[in-house]
Amino acid sequence: MGVYSDDPLWADVEPLPQDDGGPNPLAAIAYTDEYSEAMSYLRAVMASNDMSERVLSLTEDIISMNPAHYTVWLYRARVLLTLKKDLKEEIAWLNPTALNYQKNYQIWHHRQTIIDALDSPEGEAEFIAQMFERDAKNYHVWSYRQWLVKRFDIDDESELKAIDELLRADVRNNSAWNHRWFVVFGRHEGDSLDETVLERELKYAQAAIYLAPQNQSPWNYVRGLLRKYNKPLSTIKPFATEFASLDHPDDVHSSHALDVLADIYEGEGTKADAAKALDLLAQKYDPIRANYWTYRKFLLGFPPEPDHPIFHHHNY
Amino acid sequence: MAQNATIHPGFAAHSGLDRAKHINYWKRCLKTYLPHQYTSNDSNRLMLSFFIISALDLLGALLPSTTPAERADYARFLYSCQHPEGGFRGFPGTDFGQLRNKQNKQWDPANIPATYFALSTLILLGDSLQRVNKRACLRWLLQMQREDGSFGEILGENGQIEGGQDTRFGYCATGIRYILRGHKTGSVLGMPDINVDKLVDCIRRSQTYDGGISEAPFHEAHAGFTYCAISTLSFLDRLPNGVGGHLYHYGNVRLSGLTDLDLTVRWFVSRQTTTLDDEEAADTYSDETDTTATCHDAHSFVKTRSVPAKSDETCEKDRPPPAVELQWIGFNGRPNKVADTCYAWWTCASMAILGKLNLLSYTENQLYLLSKPQHAIGGFGKLPGDPPDIYHSYLGLAALGVLGNDAVKPVDPALCFSKHGATLLKNMLWRKRLLGEPGSEGPLVDSDDEVIETAEPRGRGVDVRAHQNLQVRYVRRGSEGETTLCGDGESTVASHDSDQVTLRGE
Ligand SMILES: [Zn+2]
Repeated sequence: MGVYSDDPLWADVEPLPQDDGGPNPLAAIAYTDEYSEAMSYLRAVMASNDMSERVLSLTEDIISMNPAHYTVWLYRARVLLTLKKDLKEEIAWLNPTALNYQKNYQIWHHRQTIIDALDSPEGEAEFIAQMFERDAKNYHVWSYRQWLVKRFDIDDESELKAIDELLRADVRNNSAWNHRWFVVFGRHEGDSLDETVLERELKYAQAAIYLAPQNQSPWNYVRGLLRKYNKPLSTIKPFATEFASLDHPDDVHSSHALDVLADIYEGEGTKADAAKALDLLAQKYDPIRANYWTYRKFLLGFPPEPDHPIFHHHNY
Repeated sequence: MAQNATIHPGFAAHSGLDRAKHINYWKRCLKTYLPHQYTSNDSNRLMLSFFIISALDLLGALLPSTTPAERADYARFLYSCQHPEGGFRGFPGTDFGQLRNKQNKQWDPANIPATYFALSTLILLGDSLQRVNKRACLRWLLQMQREDGSFGEILGENGQIEGGQDTRFGYCATGIRYILRGHKTGSVLGMPDINVDKLVDCIRRSQTYDGGISEAPFHEAHAGFTYCAISTLSFLDRLPNGVGGHLYHYGNVRLSGLTDLDLTVRWFVSRQTTTLDDEEAADTYSDETDTTATCHDAHSFVKTRSVPAKSDETCEKDRPPPAVELQWIGFNGRPNKVADTCYAWWTCASMAILGKLNLLSYTENQLYLLSKPQHAIGGFGKLPGDPPDIYHSYLGLAALGVLGNDAVKPVDPALCFSKHGATLLKNMLWRKRLLGEPGSEGPLVDSDDEVIETAEPRGRGVDVRAHQNLQVRYVRRGSEGETTLCGDGESTVASHDSDQVTLRGE
């Protein structure tokens, strides 16, 4: 007895049970009776390409138990489009569903299909904000947001403002930094590089570094900017020196500043200074990466003792 | 909980793995039903199958804990998921059996990750892949590549490639290609090669300004996607010169798949963190200033700046001294995120492929895995104190294998299974012949002769899962043991050594 077998609405459907391929299947799951039954009905309606209204509640049922089912969403979308359902209702159903399954890929693809068919991003900014309240670094949401920006050609101004708000809430949100890069550079590939944009972006990232000097995201952003514009890292030497200086080795406020300085010294050919900065990183300010800093120093021509861990033999 | 209190600085980090408990954990996964919580992973059953079989192999326990007949049954299950048009489906749940036809086949497609996992599992089970319809698989693989070079997950309606643009699919697709045709370019078994240049170009465009690699151009770099991209390049023999074999040349251009190797190495090194659980990470939100608790990447080492946060003083007080914290160094997947077991795999395996494993704090990385997320009942959780799950348990174990832990078999970092398994693959005669290896001369098995076999004709039998309450009883050939499934979904193994296997519900 089950939800479907007892329901006259489904009386004409012959459920199709699962064949597990022999006596010793792998990764067999202790399915609940509810799941087994619903899946048997799903196979039956898919096999006959049933496009009736009842399929919507069945797919909803499956999705609530196995949202990663890779064809149930496609099938549902096909039924919705065939029955010419009100797609706004689908979005209204999807919103709480997405909040329940935050790490599910299929749900975002489905949303994309529906919003694409609706041809309007109305309400999406609010929904995304709601998702970000739960987790402002949710990878799927950020990927979806990029799609939305491109699909509806959302203007830079409003995107930059939204990102600014997220970074005000958490200046360490690397996803927001990355999105900023996408807004500034991602849609204008092939355009010539605008120096005023470089200046604006440098200023923005540097302000964030003043707020929290030991935050790798804006430092990575600054390095990326200089690389993109083919400017030497020494462009920010005075700035980096505000947070770390070899003259005051006990007064370092950012390991990233020290790292930048090491690169600058290396570029300038003052290898001994670069080595000093790398020593400070390895021994005092970033010992988590001691092996890496030692290796960098080795590349400069200052090898460590022969039994140093970086010379340990690994079989790769 | 893990045995964290007893580990001292300088601990050699060899072993420290409770091998017996891990074997028990995986034997439970193999021989009893997975708890119903795995229903949300039902579509990934072939991935779960791979993790279970490969974990036992990594622990050297696959042959001792299974009989040849059981292994043949496992292979039969996998072959039952082979798709009539090439590749494998992700799970038996979409199979319409005799009712399959042209009109409904789009709801039952083959799946790219499932196919990679099925082939890998078969290799580890000692199967020679004779029953794999290789030509159909390669034909299907060609259909799975998009115009931009990327791969999708499944073929949908009208040959539409579904499943997002995602380096994971490129990884699995090139893994399938590597298994079935090695590094051979051009036509194999009458099937042309995939468009390697376009895929490499796609990976190059997915490299981010900070040196990592993303699922698609301009998305955020992520250690999992970066690993997939690097392994893809390894399968394609397109890593930068001097890394992981010889560089593939085309035209006069030498194009490696990584635009900036040094930057990528720096990005991986930066994934190391001592922020090992959620509690430590909680302070980052709404707290802009650097405090000892918010500086994930070097916390408690740099000086906090002008405006110390309110939480600063208390954090400073409760924090262990740096020497203690530095004993355990974990990995995050993106900047400013908390450590997570699986990123130990994505990072260490990538660095191993790039020949740069020594640049990580590998001793402390091992100690982190052994002391923090390793669980007392065996397996690994995502975070310290989390219950073990199959995904993190496998990747934690595989990471230890890459790091050289002597209780785990050496791991092939690109294939994501043991080097022993990689050798089994390389020694397959059909593959040696296909690759034209000296000493393997003989007739090439044409896949036209390789009719798809689902091992034996299968009727629409009893749905075991749907009838748990009926006390399904069947005999396993050559094995003995009673397996019981408790009502709460927690499985227990009574014994694996008696003749009859009784599976019963509550
Ligand atoms: Zn994880």
